[in-house]
Amino acid sequence: MIHVEDLSVRFKDVRVLHDVSFDVSAGESFALVGESGSGKSTILKALAGQLPAWTGSVAIGGAQSRTPRDRARQVQMVFQDPYGSLHPRRTIDDTLSEPLLIHRLPDRDSRVLSMLDAVGLPRRFRFRLPHQLSGGQRQRVAIARALMLEPPVLLLDEPTSALDVSVQAEILNLLKSLREEKNLTFLLVTHDLPVVSFLCDRLAILNAGRIVETAGSAALRSGTLVSSYGQELFQRSTYG
Amino acid sequence: MNLLSVRNLRVTFPTDHGPAEVVRGLNLDLGRERLGIVGESGSGKSMTGRAIMGLVPAPGRVTADQLTFDGQDLRDLSEDARRNLRGPAMSMVLQDPKFSLNPVIRIGDQIEEAMAVHGGLGKGARRRRMLDALISVRITDPERVARLYPHEVSGGMGQRVMIAMMVVMEPALMIADEPTSALDVSVRGQVLDILADLVSRRGMGLILISHDLNMVARWCDRILVMYRGEIVEELAAGGLYDAQHPYTRGLVASLPTIDDTRDRLPVLDRSAL
Repeated sequence: MIHVEDLSVRFKDVRVLHDVSFDVSAGESFALVGESGSGKSTILKALAGQLPAWTGSVAIGGAQSRTPRDRARQVQMVFQDPYGSLHPRRTIDDTLSEPLLIHRLPDRDSRVLSMLDAVGLPRRFRFRLPHQLSGGQRQRVAIARALMLEPPVLLLDEPTSALDVSVQAEILNLLKSLREEKNLTFLLVTHDLPVVSFLCDRLAILNAGRIVETAGSAALRSGTLVSSYGQELFQRSTYG
Repeated sequence: MNLLSVRNLRVTFPTDHGPAEVVRGLNLDLGRERLGIVGESGSGKSMTGRAIMGLVPAPGRVTADQLTFDGQDLRDLSEDARRNLRGPAMSMVLQDPKFSLNPVIRIGDQIEEAMAVHGGLGKGARRRRMLDALISVRITDPERVARLYPHEVSGGMGQRVMIAMMVVMEPALMIADEPTSALDVSVRGQVLDILADLVSRRGMGLILISHDLNMVARWCDRILVMYRGEIVEELAAGGLYDAQHPYTRGLVASLPTIDDTRDRLPVLDRSAL
């Protein structure tokens, strides 16, 4: 479903990604983990079409990325900060209807309502503004917005790291349910290894713009990552 | 003798529906130790820290039956006297260095500023102490870092600068409000090590406020769990998994673990608390 081959990105003189390659099959949940500056978010940006220049090849859903309009139907993104990613003066209804308007999709009313149901938001929230919602509720809106065009792929950039732990559990459960129901493909960026264990099937570990290891989540759970950097991250995560 | 004693601390904000109490009758005693306060957003943990510092913004009101710091009754002090304590005697490290450092003043000058305000030291002595403070937070090239502006350093470095700014006054009490949540796991360890070192070497009392249960459990001598403005449970170091209160147990259960094979995470049932 996602094919990335020899992706390299350079900002002026600094090379931030070095020949990154990986594949994610349909319905799979794949994690990119690493520290700040490792390049994990840059990969998401390249896939979302937010980078002006990169080399290599990137394909989602079998095709090379075409127009932005097509891409929007293929892939959507959920961001870290539920406070920053919603327009403060647009109602939830505006936020969820806009993609439907742009893509001239019918039945806006029923689509918005069924999406509110799908992400577990009460229908009475439909005409509220973001500041009337809690962080967890806003993140549900952000997930709903991403799913309005029914893309097969979701890019998740630290979707729960700004949330309280009890709210994080709710959002992680929601993401897991949605993936099962809609057979979504997830590409998750995080530095939180336990979240990977819970939500993902496989992971790639990035260090300084290179993938140092690709492993199944079973290797993560049992602490049998092969690379020394992977082991180091595991140790830090378990022993602080 | 305790460094800090608090009895029946209450913080109240007026609202349209009458006063809202965000800290409700909190008691705590702090020695020269690492005390953790954990809780979720809105539990009142940050307001507790601010109330001790005397930094609750208007129109909030702070009351207590006892609020003693180093033998002094803080309740009787004037606003000026409280200000004179902040810095040399007690200080606070905030979450995000990006918003807490002045973007247009060089790092070295910012650190020296507190010393200049509280007086007593000449220019040369201030500079030496500023450089020492940077070294004490493991910045290896303090001369260079002192000349930089906040935007020229990373988040981890920025947070170390913030701590250096507090350390330079050698306070007896430091309150760190989410000091590591804007940082990477790797840098997080370094910042905690620096704080631990200050507690053991300088005999400082430290209150670490965080929502990160695992970090607090691993790192503090004692943990207070706050929920809705009250302490619901006190735990010994590493005793997080022996917690009895349903709120604490709910929080612990809702955390994913690195060997997680659960299909769904249990969600905290707030109505049952």
